[in-house]
Amino acid sequence: MRLFRHIPFFYRTEYSQVKIYRVIFEATLKGFIRDRLLQLLLVCALFIFLVVPALSLFSMRQVQELSVTLSLSAISAILLIVTVILGSSSVWRDLDRRYLASILGLPVSRTSYILGKFTGIVLFIMIGCIILGLVATVAIAFVSAQYPSDIPVRWLQIWVAILMDGLKYILVAAVAMLFSSLSTSFYFPFLATLVIYFCGSASQQVYEYIVSDYGKSLSGIAKIGICVIYYCIPNFAAFDFKVQAVYPLAVSVQSLLFTGGYFLVYACIILMIAVWAFNRRELA
Amino acid sequence: MLLVGYAFCIVPFASYMKNRPVAVKLGYVPSAEVLRVAVGDQKLLVAHAAVVKVLVYYGTLIDKQLNNKLILPAEYLNMYTTLQTTVKLDPYNNDSYYFSQAAFTWDIGRAKEVNIMLDYGMKYRTWDYMLPFFAGFNAAYFLKQYEPAARYMQRAAELSGNPLLTNLAARYYFESDKSKIGIEFLEMMEKGAKDEQVRKLYRLRRTALQAASTIQSAVSQFKGQNGRLPRRLGELLEHGLMQRLPEDPYGGRFYLDDSGTVRTTSKFAFGEHK
Repeated sequence: MRLFRHIPFFYRTEYSQVKIYRVIFEATLKGFIRDRLLQLLLVCALFIFLVVPALSLFSMRQVQELSVTLSLSAISAILLIVTVILGSSSVWRDLDRRYLASILGLPVSRTSYILGKFTGIVLFIMIGCIILGLVATVAIAFVSAQYPSDIPVRWLQIWVAILMDGLKYILVAAVAMLFSSLSTSFYFPFLATLVIYFCGSASQQVYEYIVSDYGKSLSGIAKIGICVIYYCIPNFAAFDFKVQAVYPLAVSVQSLLFTGGYFLVYACIILMIAVWAFNRRELA
Repeated sequence: MLLVGYAFCIVPFASYMKNRPVAVKLGYVPSAEVLRVAVGDQKLLVAHAAVVKVLVYYGTLIDKQLNNKLILPAEYLNMYTTLQTTVKLDPYNNDSYYFSQAAFTWDIGRAKEVNIMLDYGMKYRTWDYMLPFFAGFNAAYFLKQYEPAARYMQRAAELSGNPLLTNLAARYYFESDKSKIGIEFLEMMEKGAKDEQVRKLYRLRRTALQAASTIQSAVSQFKGQNGRLPRRLGELLEHGLMQRLPEDPYGGRFYLDDSGTVRTTSKFAFGEHK
């Protein structure tokens, strides 16, 4: 951890916590680059570029649509892995290497530490989103030029889907930070984040199932229990704009505003709980 | 040592995988309700993967049947269920509708079920003229429901702006020569098919239908000349109405039923009783 380079800086108390936060944020980002995560992203991007045009040919009538589906699915899967690992390991690594105790011995607030780490991850996710999105754009453009479909490619919808995926994984990172601030192990935040991710992706379907005729057979308590879970865990289905991207369908401004607002409020709540929990934690 | 062992194993293993019974390869796809919950935001990918699985399975089966390597009835019900699952996951998936039309109408006569699927697809693919076009053809040709057929064709014509389809819609109200309509439809589909397996499927069906149509014309001619139906198809050759009897590409034998309609023992499908 290169934060030690900043020790004299931290002792100059005239520097605000905002500046300290910025240093932690930059150190987090540089740490990811030092761990060659950017190279990993570029390899993944190359994989998308090579595999998408080849696999798209498996479709009979919608090669272009399959190329969009494959690209968006690959971006989503890569970002999921990157986010869960980064979000679950960032605090744990500092703790494991005893850097955290040293850092927090300096005039660094725990809030600045958590927020600095989180925003470092956020920026890396957005960089990943843009790199993968650009490569996917080239791959889709190539396929659609070779095998034009009856329906046109709508880049706006494709980029909305990619950026909404980015927001989703920022929310996943916030959940991972929450679990990281509660645990000293890597495995708990890693597995708990994955569980929340899968539950959050399925919750909308389950909710729709129980409020439909199929749910009539369920007991009242079970329904209330499911509804409580539905409202508590993050609803990742709201960030899924893939259908609109693949079969260029209109994306309503309302859906974007609702999803954006939901993201902001939910991410803030999760981060506040993470900061609160981390501030009360024994780190001896 | 282990590498040598691997090298010895991999060739027979690959050969086994390649030659294992094709029926095994289709496998089971969980219901759409389960998949929707389980796969999260990868619904479209899973739907595409399931369609590809059906295509590869059916393509392999057709190839083996054409090469007389294997005569095995296709798992049509499993294929249909899988494709139903795919459209529930991704109701816009064109491959599912297209393949259902290609495989389930001609081979197993499930035009009614295919039209239910097509009706479902039309709610989503509102711009696509192919779905009402398929449904219109099925209604007229297989189900003999000419009025709904004309309505479907009219919708197809409106969406495509193709006057040919308007003509077809009109013809469905009056046309009685089903074979001609079938052959024209198959020709059109064959030309439009991008996938070689599907093209092969349509070509095969068209050849069979043309053969039946040729014999049927000769039977009509025979009846006109002799005032009765031929007792056997050989009489058509004896009266010089045909040079030779066309072959059924599905491997069956043509015969005349009691009403004078040309039929084949293959029922225009592989693996049927010969």
